[in-house]
Amino acid sequence: MPLARAAQTDTLAVSTLAEDREAPTQTLPVDRSTTLPPRRADAERLRELAAQREFQYREAKTELSFWERFWNWLWEWLGKISSTKQGRTTWKYGFYAALAGILVFAVLKLLQVDIGGVFGRKPRRSTLPYDVTGENIHEVDFPTRIAEAEAAGDFRLATRLGYLAILKTLTDQGLINWQPDKTNQTYLHELSNGALRNSFREATRQFEYVWYGELPLTAALYQQVRADQRAVTAPLNGRRPSTLAPTA
Amino acid sequence: MPPPFNSDMEPENTLPTPENPAPAAPETAEVSFAPRTNFARLTARTEAIRQEIGKIIVGQQDLLELLLTALLADGHVLLEGVPGVAKTLMAKLLARTLEVPFSRIQFTPDLMPSDVLGTSVFQQSKSDFEFRPGPIFASVVLIDEINRAPAKTQAALFEVMEERTVTQDGTTYRMTEPFLVLATQNPVEQEGTYRLPEAQLDRFLFKLHVGYPTTAEEVQILQGHHVGFGGTDLNVVQPILSAADLQALRQQVREQRVEVNILEYIAKIVGQTRAHKALYLGASPRASLALLNGAKALAALRGRDFVTPEDVQFLAPSVLRHRIMLTPEREMEGGTPDEVVKQIIQTIEVPR
Repeated sequence: MPLARAAQTDTLAVSTLAEDREAPTQTLPVDRSTTLPPRRADAERLRELAAQREFQYREAKTELSFWERFWNWLWEWLGKISSTKQGRTTWKYGFYAALAGILVFAVLKLLQVDIGGVFGRKPRRSTLPYDVTGENIHEVDFPTRIAEAEAAGDFRLATRLGYLAILKTLTDQGLINWQPDKTNQTYLHELSNGALRNSFREATRQFEYVWYGELPLTAALYQQVRADQRAVTAPLNGRRPSTLAPTA
Repeated sequence: MPPPFNSDMEPENTLPTPENPAPAAPETAEVSFAPRTNFARLTARTEAIRQEIGKIIVGQQDLLELLLTALLADGHVLLEGVPGVAKTLMAKLLARTLEVPFSRIQFTPDLMPSDVLGTSVFQQSKSDFEFRPGPIFASVVLIDEINRAPAKTQAALFEVMEERTVTQDGTTYRMTEPFLVLATQNPVEQEGTYRLPEAQLDRFLFKLHVGYPTTAEEVQILQGHHVGFGGTDLNVVQPILSAADLQALRQQVREQRVEVNILEYIAKIVGQTRAHKALYLGASPRASLALLNGAKALAALRGRDFVTPEDVQFLAPSVLRHRIMLTPEREMEGGTPDEVVKQIIQTIEVPR
């Protein structure tokens, strides 16, 4: 047993566990002869350190902004409300009401119901913003501009203006639904069968040859084009505008 | 409001027919509004192709018009449709109407680039390597189930589809004209297929959807099958166009008139795909060129020597649907490229 042997050789109060139970414990003598000088920090160095920012443990009191004070007040107030019985009841029913509102909104959204009308907002006519870069046919003074183009000998432009004037007339009469993205063939498709459709088809054909096909027009040929264009709109003079009912 | 690219619209203008060709030189005011290019031959040949193919295929008139447009516009076509809607048959029949060399490649997962392009073989008698051209060396190449080959084999098609050349061992081989790739793919099957790289998709002029026939058309298919006791003899389809004929018709198409506002209209449509919030990838300038070339060919097919916005609107979905990529959010919402193209067209004013 090495521990027991060590206890026998030294003067230390070390014993085996068995000895602990049987023999009294010996204490070590306290050394009072050695004098230890106390160590003291350099006062100058302490002052220097204390002046440094890292050792300034007291936080400067920051001024709260209006917005922070508002939120502090709000949370405090809400906490105060919820601590009362009446407040807790209000919170509970408020939460149920909000949940019901979210559910109703989600259902209406899924059904694609326009709820803007409830607040008096008119439903959007089209979800797409049209990039109308050209002239608005409802604002153009066609007779004047056609006369100017004819005077300048620009029969191509005059043909175009004449065709746009037809589209304006048909729109005003409620016979076609003017949209900037529609092609001439789409308008032709919107017209019901009959003389008007035939005359519009011919005017469209001529316009496309002149405008897209860059067909050079003589004065005589232009007169025929204008006559055909007038033939489209002449029967509509004095006609009462109808409610638009496109065929498609 | 009818869709802007409605296929059953009022027939445009008076189309010249083989029996009643358009007058080449107008004399009076009444006949001045007629094509200044004589499309009689083009109309006659394309009508004959329609009739030959119509001997076997029932319906699919819009698809056939778009295929003829691509043929005249010198562009490759990707046909997409579920199994059994006659994609391969349509491509084979179109190839039969052309008097040009035809080859068919069935794409499989183990297909190698050399199986398509060709390979150099050592000739002992000459003590040298000799290039053996692959099946791609034909005028009309039908690539069936193109999405079944892996990316490295797809990449082998990049050069030949765009530059019409094949480079092997430092030597460049030029394809003979015409060179047309008709590829088919099935959109629903995912097992054992690879999505085509964007670079390759961009090389197709059109991606065409092959849909189901109507009930009446299906009854007609059944009647034809019943009377013929189940067999389909492709030999009844006769060749119509030679390579030289096709080149001449393509030259007419190249000379079509395009007004500057139409060019601007095409650029606006394609440009809008790059700014649309539902799109992750917009179309490249190659798409603008494809739309222009396609519109010129379509105008010629419809008997006009100039392009109208109608042509552009009609072709825009076929040109753009495979060149744009939806954002993941739009895809999850169930959006399709065709819907986005339609929206874009609706936002741009028709030049008039």
